[in-house]
Amino acid sequence: MTEMREYAFFLGCIAPNRYPGAESASIITSRRLGIELLPLNGASCCPAPGAFGSIDLNIWYAMAARNLVLAEQMERDIALICNGCYKSIYEVNHKLKHNDELRDGVNEVLKEIDMEFKGSIDVWHLAELLYDENIVGVEKIRESVKVPLTGTKIAVHYGCHLMKPKKERHMGSTEAPRWIEELVEALGAEAVEYRNKMQCCGAGGGVRGYDLPHSLDITNEKLQNMIEVGADAVTEVCPFCQLQFDRGQIEIEEKFGIKYDMPVFHYNELLGLAQGMSPSELGLDLHAISTEPFLKKVL
Amino acid sequence: MATKNYPDPILNEKLRDRYYHRDQSNPEFTKEIEKIAGTMAHMCFQCGTCTAGCPSAPRSSYRIREFMRRAVLGLEDEALTDPDLWFCTTCYSCTDRCPRDLAPTDVIMAMRNLAARRDIVPVNFLKTVQAIYSSGHGVPNNDVNRAAREKLGMTRDPPTTSMYPEYIKGIQKILDHYGLKERADRIIKEREG
Repeated sequence: MTEMREYAFFLGCIAPNRYPGAESASIITSRRLGIELLPLNGASCCPAPGAFGSIDLNIWYAMAARNLVLAEQMERDIALICNGCYKSIYEVNHKLKHNDELRDGVNEVLKEIDMEFKGSIDVWHLAELLYDENIVGVEKIRESVKVPLTGTKIAVHYGCHLMKPKKERHMGSTEAPRWIEELVEALGAEAVEYRNKMQCCGAGGGVRGYDLPHSLDITNEKLQNMIEVGADAVTEVCPFCQLQFDRGQIEIEEKFGIKYDMPVFHYNELLGLAQGMSPSELGLDLHAISTEPFLKKVL
Repeated sequence: MATKNYPDPILNEKLRDRYYHRDQSNPEFTKEIEKIAGTMAHMCFQCGTCTAGCPSAPRSSYRIREFMRRAVLGLEDEALTDPDLWFCTTCYSCTDRCPRDLAPTDVIMAMRNLAARRDIVPVNFLKTVQAIYSSGHGVPNNDVNRAAREKLGMTRDPPTTSMYPEYIKGIQKILDHYGLKERADRIIKEREG
């Protein structure tokens, strides 16, 4: 038995409350790869960087700091599965660690709830832990595959806040990355390139709530670009993007009269499939867009 | 340039005006933006790389380059009252591509913060605040999802504030420190009655 690495699993909102299969799949697939995701009791919304950051960045810092302190108290680094959460939790952690004035201001507020941000932990997106060969790595993922996704074409949607802004991250160029494609190919699928791959899903910054048709029009463009190269499914590492692509397709049909039926998977759901988890164990029936056409190709 | 077409005719007229009026310029606005955004907006040389890669530009009159110019010229009212301010998806493509290494996205965020101080903020942003105040979650759990979780062998509520509501008090204290919930309630009531 290999040694398990333990992380505080920061859930956010959309995975646990709309796509619970993504949460469950993350825990189960990670355990098979030497990562134990422990519950982070009492965590809240990250809070939503678009909504909260737009109103008052200071409140965003304080609210994210409360979540960080919960993990500090557990003495575990945070792992999470959502790009929006990554922006809040990773970025606020980084800012508070390196800006004394900001940290003092936040701690002044946290004092009211008997908390103090110490800056003692790091924050990781589960996808980067999976890719890191010192933690898991592509080879180990490949070895864990029982049901290879051979014969399928998958379009990777990176989302925005995982890698951008690049100078506040550590993942290199954001123009044409390929590391998530490597994670997809480790499952036996073909990861296809498509036009404007790094474009936003359209949901972020509060735009989905502010002007839904505008937001869906961006999603629609991405879906067209994926269809153009014959993708059988789209995979992402952000439940908010997942919601925008999955439920968004229903809304696109209602508003624009265009129907795609493109299955949408969080990467950890795909990983679960490839590791032999059943569609019902993954809660794929909860998706707005049927995953059946994709499942027929691989199961 | 796409034409502005908003319900308020005075606002429309104002936003269509392409001239720079010195009396509308507030140099403090530029400084304030730079302080909040942590980026030297005045270094912008208006190349337009930001607008060129912006996902919102092709489908609206939102032009990030124009907002950068407003930041530099101190055109406070024009920037903060333009409804296009809320079309930024915060994708940070402009920030990653800016040849002057500026962060236009953070300029937008700073402008939104300043607009919010004047109660200019879309209702959907404030409803997220209300949801978090009452449940800890922007997207709270519901009975359909609880049943689905149970079927998957998971706890009906995730181990967040949903399972441990005693943590919500701390969240409310933070938000109350800034009086944000009160403000959100008041503004929503003013708009929606």
